[in-house]
Amino acid sequence: MVEENERPQAGFQFSNFGRNEALVARGFQMPKCRKTGTTIAGIVFKDGVVLGADTRATEGDIVADKNCCKIHYLQPNMYCCGAGTAADLEMTTQMMASQLELHRLNTGRQVPVIAANTMLKQMLFRYQGYVGAALVLGGVDKYGSHIYSIHPHGSTDRLPYTTMGSGSLAAMSVFEARWKPNMELDEAKQLVRDAIAGGVFNDLGSGSNIDLCVITKDGATMTRPYDVANVKGQRVGKYEYKRGVTEVLNTVVRPIEIVSETVKVVSEEDMDTA
Amino acid sequence: MQSRMVELETRNQDPQGDHGPQERNYILSLHDVLMKKSILNYNGGCVVAMKGKNCVAIACDLRFGVQAQTISTDFKRVFELGPHLYIGLPGLATDTQTVLQRLQFRIKMYEMREGRRLKPHTLMAMMQNLLYERRFGPYFVEPVIAGLDPNTKEPYICALDLIGCACEPADFVVSGTCSESLYGMCETTWQEDMEPEDLFECISQSLVNAFDRDALSGWGAVVHIIEQDKVTTRTLKCRQD
Amino acid sequence: MATERYSFSLTTFSPSGKLVQIEYALAAVAAGAPAVGIKAKDGVVLATEKKHKSILVEEHSIIKVEVVTDHIGMVYSGMGPDYRLLVRQARRVAQQYYRTYLEPIPTTQLVQRLAAIMQEYTQSGGVRPFGVSLLICGWDTDRPYLFQCDPSGAYFPWKATAMGKNFINGKTFLEKRYNEDLELDDAVHTAILTLKESFEGQMSSDNIEIGICNAKGFRRLTPAEVQDYLANIA
Repeated sequence: MVEENERPQAGFQFSNFGRNEALVARGFQMPKCRKTGTTIAGIVFKDGVVLGADTRATEGDIVADKNCCKIHYLQPNMYCCGAGTAADLEMTTQMMASQLELHRLNTGRQVPVIAANTMLKQMLFRYQGYVGAALVLGGVDKYGSHIYSIHPHGSTDRLPYTTMGSGSLAAMSVFEARWKPNMELDEAKQLVRDAIAGGVFNDLGSGSNIDLCVITKDGATMTRPYDVANVKGQRVGKYEYKRGVTEVLNTVVRPIEIVSETVKVVSEEDMDTA
Repeated sequence: MQSRMVELETRNQDPQGDHGPQERNYILSLHDVLMKKSILNYNGGCVVAMKGKNCVAIACDLRFGVQAQTISTDFKRVFELGPHLYIGLPGLATDTQTVLQRLQFRIKMYEMREGRRLKPHTLMAMMQNLLYERRFGPYFVEPVIAGLDPNTKEPYICALDLIGCACEPADFVVSGTCSESLYGMCETTWQEDMEPEDLFECISQSLVNAFDRDALSGWGAVVHIIEQDKVTTRTLKCRQD
Repeated sequence: MATERYSFSLTTFSPSGKLVQIEYALAAVAAGAPAVGIKAKDGVVLATEKKHKSILVEEHSIIKVEVVTDHIGMVYSGMGPDYRLLVRQARRVAQQYYRTYLEPIPTTQLVQRLAAIMQEYTQSGGVRPFGVSLLICGWDTDRPYLFQCDPSGAYFPWKATAMGKNFINGKTFLEKRYNEDLELDDAVHTAILTLKESFEGQMSSDNIEIGICNAKGFRRLTPAEVQDYLANIA
């Protein structure tokens, strides 16, 4: 164990796998992890792309997060919406963002969107669908505006408009009815808003607010929230407990002395390699 | 164990997600019922954390059980990791302790290497990595972090699922066997900008009333109120059934 | 004669306690193109000479001042190929740190980790030490940082320093010119003047390179910006 701790290993660790399988064999169920039921969407418009997402995360049928962020940063010219297992999306996009940043620094140019698409699909294919990430990748580069949809097993499509997640049908119906080539920015934002709202109101896995991200050749702007589709009502009464209601058995108060920050001083001495 | 118990409906009941109607039982053998449940509920226990005005609170129950049998009632599942930094690790008790040890190792290495205190947000990132490393063979814990930023003194709370997906809301986070009841309690009792004393009442009542409806947690509670200049730890008087 | 016996394997000490391969590496650095770094109140500047072997070289395809991450940059004296490997390692280390802690790597951490890599090459079999010294500058926790990293794996924080060819003259010049209240713009001027001390021929935006780091991050100056600074000095 000490060895394992001292040398951080790359990649996934499977040391608990056998134990966990044994538990399943004895009738215990694997716990569920947080998912994003999700409606995500992206379209190409005249000057770039618009990405949209709802903000609900679920754990089984419990709403685990009412305002999570499903539009992830990859590069200044590229963002990515995610549906599926929340942790997979978070980590996959983080890892991709850092690989793309290395790619940008080492090549000294803006990363084309297709590079991100290829890297993502290769990674997801390698994990054979076990990394549960369904993505809508959008960005603008010197070749134009691109929207890609990427499925958990690694297949991808390049499309002018696409949707993903449990609310994808609701959102797609809006796009099928109203999307057209060369839309203006305001029109495009309204269309994506309406598509996500379709998911928010018709799909149980999606809900709360609508986030938008507009990417043009001048850069990306995230609007979070773009629209609060479900405003929480103002509560009139208060449910307050009076001070002293709770019966306390014992109290320990520990003052925190101001811990002065230890600054590691690196001594300035002459180089000593002799 | 003759006590009357009403079976809890859990979200982890069915892998297919196909919930049949649930009849209310007077349970004859708890073993049969509880065996079907998620391993996360094997030892029981719950944790809740809340933000207040320039302060945060984190509270947990004290039960350690093996399914329906209570083994001890002074089990620690909230731990101090720094002067303003606490973590709750509800879930399978063996993993609570293993994860804590691994985490402490990483934190001590960090603090020695960098000669500075860990920020709560950094702890979240560490925890995320620790858990996601075992994406395909996870530890059965759902951690809750509460603390104040060492530089800005900004309150911070966060909850992670068992493979490291973090959620950082502005109000409260819950985790453990009675998270549904805790959601309900906190959703009604939490208000913005509570003073430390009010925050204490709010978190204590939310926790105690939630776990009184849960067979797998309870038997006492510990509440930490973390302020800039002090941490107040109170043990609560609770039902012992 | 005696030194030759101990210069064969770099992991063998000479009787006087020297690892001569490391000293030879330092000689490679001292023969390399000069590089200067100066810490100002509100930032840091790195500058280096970029002379080409032939007029036929396409000068803008060669870059010596490199970005490591948003707020850290570096430059070198010594062997170019060795430097490029270290740049890649530094970027990897910075990204790795960010993914572990979700915060930008502090400059001191990057320097320590890079120095550890350089040290490893003085103690491993089948390798030789890096033939470069690095100047690494950064901005974090609201203040500037400037470090030098040597082939031995030793590293030092500096207010201002010079490396490479004629570094002794450069340092002497800096000792005279440096003061604590320098603004970044003045520091850029001082850096150019330090390079000028040993510069042969006409200085232009094609044969020097400058990088600056302040609260906004690290960036390499464009040839036009360098030209402006040069015009101000002349």
